[in-house]
Amino acid sequence: MDLSPIDCKQVLQQIELYLDGELDPAMGSEVGRHLGACSPCMDHADFKRHLRELLKAKCGCGQVPAHVLERIRTVLGEEPDRPAGV
Amino acid sequence: MARSRSAPIDDPALKERFEREVLPLLPNLYGAALRMTRNPADAEDLVQETYLRAYRGFSGFQEGTNVRAWMYRILTNTFINSYRKRQRQPVTVPDEDIEDWFLYDKLGDAGIESSAESEVLDRLPDEDVQRALEALPEGFRMAVLLADVEGFSYKEIAEILEIPIGTVMSRLHRGRKALEKALWETVRERGLVAD
Repeated sequence: MDLSPIDCKQVLQQIELYLDGELDPAMGSEVGRHLGACSPCMDHADFKRHLRELLKAKCGCGQVPAHVLERIRTVLGEEPDRPAGV
Repeated sequence: MARSRSAPIDDPALKERFEREVLPLLPNLYGAALRMTRNPADAEDLVQETYLRAYRGFSGFQEGTNVRAWMYRILTNTFINSYRKRQRQPVTVPDEDIEDWFLYDKLGDAGIESSAESEVLDRLPDEDVQRALEALPEGFRMAVLLADVEGFSYKEIAEILEIPIGTVMSRLHRGRKALEKALWETVRERGLVAD
């Protein structure tokens, strides 16, 4: 599909940087334009984007056990029973 | 960063700022510590040590600097200096020859429609995904954790890990591919795709 100055192969090579927000603005909008018009490339991008969201959701911050919060509060020289202002 | 002064911060305004800016980062830091140490007891010690060092060094911390990146840098340094040695993990690197769209292609080859590929992964239990990330060699695990889970930019990761941006990029690229391979193996073990 030749919709823009860059082709699918180039777009797929740039996806990682694109999703990381690390492309320069001109290349970023070029890739964005291509994705908007090319559904196979958009599928690829969506997959990688979803993979990151999955990682964030499943490996991200969890519940901090109460005793861990108490240990941190102790570092701050506070009574452990003080209600957490977090 | 970790100065020998062990007295708590005397300045109430500084202490208040620490509580307002640094304490709310605890859930994220604890989560990251779990992925780094791979066990709750070490993760607890690691976040406590991190907060202790941060608290001692906070008076020298410039307002307006990136406090999140600063905390992750202390976390990372503390981990590398104390816990990694204890864990004696061999230095390994991920496979060189994993293809760029490994997981996407494998799921496609297994007959999963592209619209349904993400749903297959969603069905993986959290623990499976955590184990896959934790199985990555350390340098690669840290890069993927900081980028994909914590959302830091390449520049921030370079500063946190004290490595060049080019190294961040290559570790991320290879670490993500190795993670895709590990997830694919998990998907198969769980019977989420037909062999």
